[in-house]
Order: sequence, then structure tokens, then C-alpha cells
Amino acid sequence: MIDFKNVTKIYGGEVKAVDDITMSVNEGEFVILLGPSGCGKTTLLRMVNQLETITDGEINVNGQNVKEMDKIKMRRNIGYVIQSNGLFPNMTIEKNTMIVPDLLGWDRKKKRDRFNYLMDLIGLNPDEYRKRYPHELSGGQQQRIGVARAMASDPPVMLMDEPFGALDPIIREKVQDEFLTIQKEVKKTILFVSHDIDEAVKMGDKISLLRQGQIMQYASPTEMLHRPKNDFVSEFIGKDRVLRSMSLYTVNDLVEALGLKSKEEDIQDTKEITIDTSLRVALSMLLNKEADELLITDDQGEAHGSLTFDLIETFINREVRGA
Amino acid sequence: MMNSKKIIAYIVRITLWALVIAFFWWAISENMFDKIFNEPETFKGLLTAHIQLTVISAGLAILTSLPLGILITRPWFRKSEWLIVNIANLGQTIPSLAVLALAMSFLGIGMPTAIVALYVYSLLPVLQNTIAGLDSVQPEMKDAAKGMGMTPLQILFRVELPNASSSILAGIRTAVVLNIGTAALAYLIGGGGLGVWIFTGIQLYDNQTLISGAIPVTLLAVLVDFIFRGLQYVLVPKGNRLATKAVTD
Ligand SMILES: Nc1ncnc2c1ncn2[C@@H]1O[C@H](COP(=O)(O)OP(=O)(O)O)[C@@H](O)[C@H]1O
Ligand SMILES: [Mg+2]
Repeated sequence: MIDFKNVTKIYGGEVKAVDDITMSVNEGEFVILLGPSGCGKTTLLRMVNQLETITDGEINVNGQNVKEMDKIKMRRNIGYVIQSNGLFPNMTIEKNTMIVPDLLGWDRKKKRDRFNYLMDLIGLNPDEYRKRYPHELSGGQQQRIGVARAMASDPPVMLMDEPFGALDPIIREKVQDEFLTIQKEVKKTILFVSHDIDEAVKMGDKISLLRQGQIMQYASPTEMLHRPKNDFVSEFIGKDRVLRSMSLYTVNDLVEALGLKSKEEDIQDTKEITIDTSLRVALSMLLNKEADELLITDDQGEAHGSLTFDLIETFINREVRGA
Repeated sequence: MMNSKKIIAYIVRITLWALVIAFFWWAISENMFDKIFNEPETFKGLLTAHIQLTVISAGLAILTSLPLGILITRPWFRKSEWLIVNIANLGQTIPSLAVLALAMSFLGIGMPTAIVALYVYSLLPVLQNTIAGLDSVQPEMKDAAKGMGMTPLQILFRVELPNASSSILAGIRTAVVLNIGTAALAYLIGGGGLGVWIFTGIQLYDNQTLISGAIPVTLLAVLVDFIFRGLQYVLVPKGNRLATKAVTD
């Protein structure tokens, strides 16, 4: 869907921001551009919708060379979200969200329906927010509107530059979760810039780790955590890679691999969690002594057994370390 | 919330109004405005000339400065922007009387000369505020607009100008109000207007003539200031007004 072929970007004849990058993003894939500040993530992203010129090499979107496409037309067909949401203070939330449909000349009814649909998708009441202005919304809400706006004309490709970077950690987690749920439904092809390894591991189908404009490793989060390709990758992932990789698994993965213990009657200190909770969350609940055992239930509320610290340890040794 | 600053501002305002009312009380009881009623035709002529001076010169200044300000904030002009801003700032420090004198030495005396001088004098506030307003629009906003596929003209009219409108309007208001006051000097180069009575009054120690000229000029300036403040509610987008209010409250 997005193909980078030997792409290079040199600013002002001297700063090599992107250095001979070749990679592809398949349709429906969620790919993270990860790396330290200044490694060229934003530049690489902005060359896709021609906000930056390409010094050398070529980028194809859907088999078409971006250089040969009409800039204005192609941008209207690619969702774009930036860190400071870039909402316009002079427009209502509805106007802000419907900018691209406006540019495309949609009729009023179609725009209204789309707005209602998108607001439901991001969990905000359309009628409550329609006539409000950006400054009346919290940072998290503004960022969600920024995402809705990028999806307004239902573009197949989305470019997102640290969209949740300015949010405080608790809100960020929440918005990330929401966005993952949305992505499950809409299945966009996403190129997403982040400098946060935890965010990358949690969100991405694949991670492209960059350093000084070059790809250090392009792989799935599991692959990268288990088989870092070089010292830079291992160092960037950090020592707590085992803990980190826990967020890749849900309780269900453990159940399938090991099964659960049957609940012991004499243990009082228990708590219920659902089977699709991430193992990282479950582990931290146990470590924080919120409970000695976690009772696992499924969507229907049916009990499956209980999860203990020992079980998680066994799972780590078998699945994570051993893999 | 009532804080001490607001209370002080309130007291100052009430005091000022009390002084104004006291002044008018005095002026009316001393028949200071009699000249207006005794010579209504002359008054009408002077007032009309004064308004003409202002409307033509300020109007032309807005028609020049607004497009100029937009033009030099475009990317392809960026490099020369500092030059123009500096010239504009320098120009602002030249006294209005000097502008009049300069215009007279080139164009002789009369109303057209006064209009040219007032025009030059009004260019700068509008230009400065147009540039400042457009420069204050966050680059992220313009980037988002561009990234969504707006054309440069769409970005200008849908994003930049609406978000700069408050600043631009303030510049126009300043220019017009200053212009009305400065137009009184037009008399000095034979440009007519209410300055005729003001300066005659000064020369003859005739308070009646002086005040019959000065008060209408003041009222005109206050009225125009008031109108432009009202215009803000029509021309500045509601979202921007509410956002500014939310910050200052
Ligand atoms: N417009 C520009 N002009 C010159 N250099 C730039 C420009 N934008 C970015 N750079 C440089 O290119 C490199 C990569 O920048 P960027 O893509 O923004 O990195 P990241 O998004 O990973 O932080 C940095 O060294 C940065 O200073
Ligand atoms: Mg960046």
C-alpha cells in the first residue's frame, strides 16, 4: 500500500534527515515509525503526502508514485493527524471535523450523517459537541476530534505524527485503547510516528526503528523484543523487555498455552478480570497486591478459573524467554 | 470574579464619565456650542469635509495595507518581510505633522494633499496589525490545513484571515480613530474640516469657536471607536471571541 524505495531526504544540501530507506506497509497494517528525536520519523512521514519533497528515491501509495499525483487531491485522500491537533478555533467541532468532506463538496445530509457516525465512533455525543468550539474541549477530546477529522472522508491511508504525544499518561492510555478498538473496526493502513517504545509495542502490527535516518530493524513487536537485530535495538528496547512484551499477550493467550488453576476456596483475596485483559495489566495487579488471585471471566461473565503469579511466571519462561 | 484590578478600572471609568458630564454641563451652560447652532450651514460643511478626509484617506489606506500585509506574509515573500516590518515601524515614529509638512512641500496646499498625508499616516497601523495577526496564526494550524488538502487560497480565507481578524480589525480601528483626530491638522495645509474652527479658536482666544470644533471631532472619534468595537461581533468568528474571553476572564 505504501512503498518506500531508497528514499533519501537532504535538507538544505547538508542535513541528511532520511538516508536510503526501503520498506513497505501493507494494506490494513498499523506500522509505527519509532526512534529517538531527530532520527527522521516526521520527515519520512511528511514525504508521503508531499508536505516535504523527496530528495532521492520514490514513494508509491497504492502503486502510484506520489510525485506524479496531484498534491491537493492526494492529501484529501490521506488522513493526517499531528501532535498539536491543529483544530481551527474559528470553526465549530462539526465544521472542524467535516473540513475534508467540505473540500470534496459533500452535501449537507451526507456530512451530518458522517459526523454523527464518527462522533459515535470516538465516543462523544454528536449533538452535545456539534456547535461547541475547540477551546471548550479537554486535550484528550481535542485529540480524538483530530483523529475523527482525519477519518472524515474515510481515507484508506492515515498518517499520524505523535498524535497522542501531548496527552498526559492516563488519558494517553485511554485514547490509545480507544483508537485500537476503532482500528479493529475500520482497518486503515496507518503510518504512526512515536518515540515511545511502550506505545509502539502496544499499538503496532510492525515497528520500524530508525536511527539517524536509517532503519535499524523493521519487524513485528514480538520479533523485535525477542530478537533485536543489533545493539542499538536492544538498547532502545531497554532491560525491561520481558515486562514490556507482557502487553503483547492477553490472559487468553496464557489460558490457551497453560490453562488456569481451579479456584481455591480458602483464598479470600480475589478480583475478577475479563479474559481479554492484557497480561501486563494482570501482572501489575498481582504485583501491587490488589489480589492474590485473579478470577478470569469471559464476555458472558462465566468464570474460567483463576490466575496466579506462579502461572504468569511459568508462561514467561515458556513463551516469552523461550521464544 | 471581581478582583482589585477590575475595581480600579471601574472607578477610573466612572470618574472619567463624571468629568465628561461635568464638562458638557459647563459647556452647555456657558453656551459654548452656540456657534454650531448659529452657523449650521458652515458647521455642516466643515463636518462633511472632515468625514470626507477620513473616509477617503483611511479607506484607501485599508485597501492598500490589507492586501500588502497578506502579500508579504506569503511564503515567497518571507525573506523581505523583516524589511517591510522595519520600514513600517520606523514610519510609525514620524510625527503626523511632519507627514503633513512633507506632503505639502511636494503637492502644495488643499484637500487632496491632506488626504494623501492622512493616507500615508493610516497605512502603518493597518499594515502592522495585518502582519502581526497573520503571523500569530500557529504554524501547526496551517500545516494541518495544508495536510488535509486545502489550497493556499483556502488556507488564507478559511484559516488565516478568520484567526487574524481580531488583530486586523484592531489595526483598522486604531488607524481610523487616529485619522479622525489627525484630520483636524488638515486646516494647517488648507485641507478644511473641523480643524478650521479649532485653530481659529486657538488663534483668537475664542473658546466658543474652539469647542464647537473640538467637541464634534472628539464625539466623532468616540462614535467610530464604538462602531468598530461592535463590528468585532460581526467580523470576528464566535469561536475566537469565546476563546479570547475564556483566556482573559
Ligand atoms: N525544515 C527543515 N530544515 C532543515 N532541517 C530539518 C527540517 N526539518 C527537520 N530537519 C532536520 O532533519 C532531522 C530529522 O528531523 P525530523 O524528521 O523532524 O525528526 P523526528 O521527527 O524523528 O524527531 C533533524 O536533524 C532535523 O533537525
Ligand atoms: Mg517528529
